[in-house]
Amino acid sequence: MTDSHKPLPDLLDEVALKILMIEPGDLSIVGELLDLIDRLLPISAASDIPMVIQQMAVAFKGVLGQLIMGELADSAENYDLLGKCVSEMQESARKEGKPDEKIIEQFCLNMKKIGVSLPPSALIGTTNVVSAGSVGVEAGNDEIMSAEESAVTLPEVDLVQTQPSAEVWSIHESVPDFLQDTDLLAGFIEEAFEHLESIEVNVLELEQSPDDIEIINNIFRPFHTIKGVSGFLNLKTINRLAHATENLLDDVRNGKRAMDSAVIDIVLTVGDALKSMVVDIKGVLQNGPANYQDTDISGFLVHITQLQEGGSGVSPVEVISVPAPDLLLEVSEIDDPEESESLANEEAAAVAPSTPINVNKAAQVDASPKAPQLPASSASRPLADAGMKKIGASIKVDVEKLDALVNAVGELVIMQSLVRQNKLVSRIADAKLTKDFSQLTRITSELQRTAMSMRMVPIKQTFDKMIRLVRDLSKKSGKKVDLIMEGAETEIDRNMVESIYDPLVHMMRNSVDHGISTPAEREKCGKQETGTVSLRAYQKGGSMMIEIEDDGEGLNTLKIRKKAIERGLISESDNLSDFELNNLIFLPGFSTADAITDVSGRGVGMDVVKKAVEKLRGKVEVQSHSGKGSLCVIRLPLTLAIIDGIIVRVGSERYIIPTIAIQESMRPERTNYSTVHGRGENLLVRGELVPIIKLYEIFGVPSTYTDPCEAIVVVVENEGRRRALMVDELLGKEEVVIKNLGGIDVPGVAGGTILGDGRVGLILDLAGVISNKGL
Amino acid sequence: MEATSVAHNLGQGAELAGKYLTFSLGNEGYGVGILSVREIIGVMEITAVPHTPAYIKGVINLRGKVIPVLDLRLKFSMNHKEYDERTCVIVVEVQGQTTPVQVGMVVDSVSEVLNIAAAEVEPPPSLGSASETDNILGMAKVKGEVKILLDVDRVVGEGLLHQLAS
Repeated sequence: MTDSHKPLPDLLDEVALKILMIEPGDLSIVGELLDLIDRLLPISAASDIPMVIQQMAVAFKGVLGQLIMGELADSAENYDLLGKCVSEMQESARKEGKPDEKIIEQFCLNMKKIGVSLPPSALIGTTNVVSAGSVGVEAGNDEIMSAEESAVTLPEVDLVQTQPSAEVWSIHESVPDFLQDTDLLAGFIEEAFEHLESIEVNVLELEQSPDDIEIINNIFRPFHTIKGVSGFLNLKTINRLAHATENLLDDVRNGKRAMDSAVIDIVLTVGDALKSMVVDIKGVLQNGPANYQDTDISGFLVHITQLQEGGSGVSPVEVISVPAPDLLLEVSEIDDPEESESLANEEAAAVAPSTPINVNKAAQVDASPKAPQLPASSASRPLADAGMKKIGASIKVDVEKLDALVNAVGELVIMQSLVRQNKLVSRIADAKLTKDFSQLTRITSELQRTAMSMRMVPIKQTFDKMIRLVRDLSKKSGKKVDLIMEGAETEIDRNMVESIYDPLVHMMRNSVDHGISTPAEREKCGKQETGTVSLRAYQKGGSMMIEIEDDGEGLNTLKIRKKAIERGLISESDNLSDFELNNLIFLPGFSTADAITDVSGRGVGMDVVKKAVEKLRGKVEVQSHSGKGSLCVIRLPLTLAIIDGIIVRVGSERYIIPTIAIQESMRPERTNYSTVHGRGENLLVRGELVPIIKLYEIFGVPSTYTDPCEAIVVVVENEGRRRALMVDELLGKEEVVIKNLGGIDVPGVAGGTILGDGRVGLILDLAGVISNKGL
Repeated sequence: MEATSVAHNLGQGAELAGKYLTFSLGNEGYGVGILSVREIIGVMEITAVPHTPAYIKGVINLRGKVIPVLDLRLKFSMNHKEYDERTCVIVVEVQGQTTPVQVGMVVDSVSEVLNIAAAEVEPPPSLGSASETDNILGMAKVKGEVKILLDVDRVVGEGLLHQLAS
């Protein structure tokens, strides 16, 4: 049940997601990746991990090690190649450790491109015989060791990332002396994260209006606080780095030097470095000081001093000025003067979407010196300020207390309905009582709503991180991209915030990397050279919707179809709509190393996005218009605490099936029912054979009906698999609060809930029900 | 040898002295440390959970919280007895894998809270197989009756862990 015994596909999914998160210059994620990969290594891996994957992991780890040591270039290309390697590992895992040689060759080829030579023969030998393990390990290790030694690559210096070896550890084994007051330290860690976050947001805002003293102050203050507290807690490295940066910002504040892109870059990278240092300290708090090493910050200090002395090559004239979204018009005017006739029309088009925006920011990263200082950027400031103030007026509450409150309120609602339905009480024909009851109902439901909403936080935090992502992506790729965000105030269950971040990054990356083309190409297609990516969040019918829309190329449906046929996912004769074809990209195994680059990220499949979203009980879909752009829609439940379910009866038991997975329910016709060898029962549903799962059989409870044609079947879909669940009766639809079963964890049951009559009902875990059919 | 064993027993007895909630299963009297008992409730409707051993009766709604319920008779391989108005569920709190968990134990009837002195406690008898007596802390002789003092963490832990392994 522990983390280290996760099934292989889950581990690889995690690896894949981590790869997506890596930005060159951010080695902390490489470290996390290393931890994940370690679990696949021959020494620690569970015996059910195929040998070939263990060997691949050994090679993979070698590459990560070299990346960290700086022997291999810390470049996006290498991470892309690593991503492809992960896909090949996933593919191998799907083939149950017996991948065909093509995959292995591909893996080795990608490894070679990174700079590690790995003969396919070293891996092929391990695919068939698992028992030859120990020999294989030895040979494989030697092979890789020598490969590592012979690997020669020229480290490419990424000029954009000025972060000088932030993660080169100085050898420093002594127990850190900041561990004296762990309570204070924990408080500092939490605060520091908030401060660093606010620094990042403010810096990005500063790019839009570099002369706004107020924003510079907003950046200065958190650095000052971090400096002060870290000094007090004896966190010397953090203190020195924050102090140096504070001094630099002070110079800017006092007008000694101008706010230019060099300063912004260093502040951002320092912020990242501080974040990773704080993460390290958090690790020390959690796991003890054994592995703690001080971060070497000398590179930063030198750089900052240079900047203070004006020694950087960047002249203050190159002020980054990024227009606010409201000013798209002006920008286009400057960028394409020829188009000025059509401006009137565009004006209408561009203004319309920006009016309902709550908090909108553009992260256009064109540092074009032509772009003038636009005074209207101050117009967007009050909005942001309002958002800030609102955050300041909140208090922190222990999550357990919140959960207790929500529980109590839920119980109150149930008790109230029990009292109301009491036979004696319901016979009282008193107008006052009826009135009082309805008043009580109003109060309790208001109370319930408020209690539920307390677990919700605005999605703003997650969205704000996307500004940075888009900025970095577009800067790197030389594309011009506007990010328009709408509905950042939309609230989402705080437990979901973290889990939705990775898939969002993946999809944003896809939009910028593959959706939007270069300015020149865009111009050729008759579009504005600045692409637009919209990120929207809103509530719709009890769901939280997140949309990512770009006005780029769109998906190449023909290519997807060809690929799908090649992969055997559909057959030549299948007549799928464009919509269905586009959504094939979410199938596992669709995107591999040689897959269509138009739709794939780091060679990592979109199936990881789908799985991550499904884990949150959500759905993801993509719509695309070739040449016009694509729209990804993620639908999530508003909260993880409540599930919308259909209550079904099997014998005397009641189960809840999540509504989101249900496609239809019916009483089967005899003509549609068929068996295989007298056992495997199938039902023909709209031309497709769907296996029947008898709930009474897998749960071992007596049921009213045993013949599917007398009972009701509910057709459900989970992870692309359709099944017909046989039940006795449908009792109704209800929103239920999910509770764990207090220590009991059984396959096929996701949790329990308290039904209207006060009894516990079990919520089905469809993945478990489907895969454990044999139980 | 003799002396150390006695000393050991005395030490153990001293540790075990304290207040116990006593209850009965058939003709036997049992006791659980009062500090782990959260509350005593009457038997309510229990929702069965599939794929669990017979002694896990299922889950109940304890004021908005879902908690598992063990039938102690079935846990100790005694005969099943129909639940009646004397049947009680003792809710105990034990340390789970990460957080404390509450678990209900179905017993025939709850008797009283007894103050048990160190001198009254004897080590558990050896019944041949160790696993039978593993979850017994000791035997207390109070007012001429024998009370079997249960190690609640063991009883519940075994119950749930065993279920997870199966």
